[in-house]
Amino acid sequence: MTAAEVAPHAVTSPSAQAAVVIDSASMTYVVRSIRPAPRHETFRARLSRAGSGVEISHLEALKPLSLVVEHGESVGVIGTNGSGKSTLMKLVTGQLAPTSGSVYATDTPIMLGVNAALVPQISGEDNIILGCLAMGMSRAQADAKFDSIVELSGLKDSLHLPLKAYSSGMASRLQFAIATSVDPEILVIDEALNTGDAQFRERTRQRINVLREQAGCVFLVSHSLGTIRDMCTRAIWIERGELLMDGTPEEVTGRYQEYAGHMGKKHDKKAADLREKCRSELVRTKIVWNDQRSPSSATP
Amino acid sequence: MNTTEDTGDSGTRTIALDRNGLIRVGARPSLWRYLRQIWEFRSFVLFDSKSRIAGGNSTNSLGQIWLVLNPILNGATYFFVFGLLLGTGRGIENFIAYLIIGVFMFRFTSSAITSGSKAIISNRAVVRAFSFPRATLALAVNVRELMVQIPAFITMFVLILAFPPLEIVSWKWLLFIPLVAVQFLFNLGLSLILARLVTRFNDVTNLITFGTRIWLYLSAVFFSIDRFADHPTILFIMHLNPMYCILEIARDSLLYDTWPDPNRWLVLGAWTLVLLVVGTVLFWQAEESYGQEK
Repeated sequence: MTAAEVAPHAVTSPSAQAAVVIDSASMTYVVRSIRPAPRHETFRARLSRAGSGVEISHLEALKPLSLVVEHGESVGVIGTNGSGKSTLMKLVTGQLAPTSGSVYATDTPIMLGVNAALVPQISGEDNIILGCLAMGMSRAQADAKFDSIVELSGLKDSLHLPLKAYSSGMASRLQFAIATSVDPEILVIDEALNTGDAQFRERTRQRINVLREQAGCVFLVSHSLGTIRDMCTRAIWIERGELLMDGTPEEVTGRYQEYAGHMGKKHDKKAADLREKCRSELVRTKIVWNDQRSPSSATP
Repeated sequence: MNTTEDTGDSGTRTIALDRNGLIRVGARPSLWRYLRQIWEFRSFVLFDSKSRIAGGNSTNSLGQIWLVLNPILNGATYFFVFGLLLGTGRGIENFIAYLIIGVFMFRFTSSAITSGSKAIISNRAVVRAFSFPRATLALAVNVRELMVQIPAFITMFVLILAFPPLEIVSWKWLLFIPLVAVQFLFNLGLSLILARLVTRFNDVTNLITFGTRIWLYLSAVFFSIDRFADHPTILFIMHLNPMYCILEIARDSLLYDTWPDPNRWLVLGAWTLVLLVVGTVLFWQAEESYGQEK
């Protein structure tokens, strides 16, 4: 970590372009669980186990990771279940504070998650207004956006129903329409498109392209490699809490497909070799701040 | 343990950045700015509380009628148990109205802090999707509880006028408005503290049920404090109970046509101020953590 390491091929990127900067952020969860009682346990041992039977374990979901995403990029995020993709997205939106490191962005990111239901008891119409207000619009602005959100959601006929009556696909359409109505600078979509039908996918693709043209930046987590190739300009592969690949969607999804094939056939050795290969080829990002100080922690 | 820069020729790429224009994601603003943000989200607060009143009772077929029915049934139970069976009401002038005020006013606080303490955990989906000052959720719950109480308070007035003896309706009845305003702020302060605790330790929810129960028994809802006239210590402690102060102010002005003791206002005001300040600071300190799953 010395100047010698930094100096040789430092690429200075004007920060006007960087939309999201992940500066060696890591995440370790503290999880409470019920401790399993050993099968043959003496009475005394049972007493000595602290009475609550609740155990605290530490789970390293994400190892320190650095990444810079620029305006106009849409980044596909892939990885097997439990690899840390969603954790990374939660760090990007600020829903979780990283255990170490920091995440910076030019604007407040908007999250589009799987559990699309916002407030299940109230109607779709009310959810639209509520969502807009929660993003900081005034009531007048929310009313002005209302029609275009209804239009984008394509749910005109069911908006008077409470959200709990919606199918998961309908609910995610509604949330997508709400979330993108502000033209967010940074949008994070976490598997929210899986429930959508072909028509909705097409609308989503168009909307994402529009956002990108407006110099927004989109993160897209999906298990559908087709979707990633279709909608993204860049892809990253996260496995076991660490970044393995960062490149074009074609390269990354191709390599990932190979890996998934090995895993599916239980060729653990081949899979491990592939992981090792990616790890050695990966060009890691190291972030230095021009004035030696990281951005101020509070909003200006 | 993790393989870093030492891996052969490819190594690392260093990116130098200016910090202009970048802000730390999810960062907690200064307290002053936080309060200003809450004010900027006032239409969110109002809309959230309004839209949920309609939605909240839609699962019961009697709907909003329960808002009024619930305290009436409660009052009837207490009247039966304490008034008739145990006779705690003996010697209390106008006991039915005394009890009605106790039950309705206590219920305002108990239901406000019970739902207020769950302001974050029952709104995870909204908290996850959008970033807005989270205290607005606790505020919205309390505004909602206030709006919900209005029909209940009207019922209360009708009931105490309906049961004999007839009360004198005087200008002192107007004291009820500042009283409810102060009680609202009191509830809000307590909700903010409890919401932070419940979000951190879910177990607290169990204690809140228990705590409000004890508080109910200790606040002279269905007995008179006069029975402790010989015990100055108990009397002193009772006078420090903010709920007792609320009930006493309401009863004095509505039932007995007397000006409430200024000490009651003083104690209640002090509690409210302390809870509000402590609650706001405590809640704001954990602002970055409310999105976390437990």
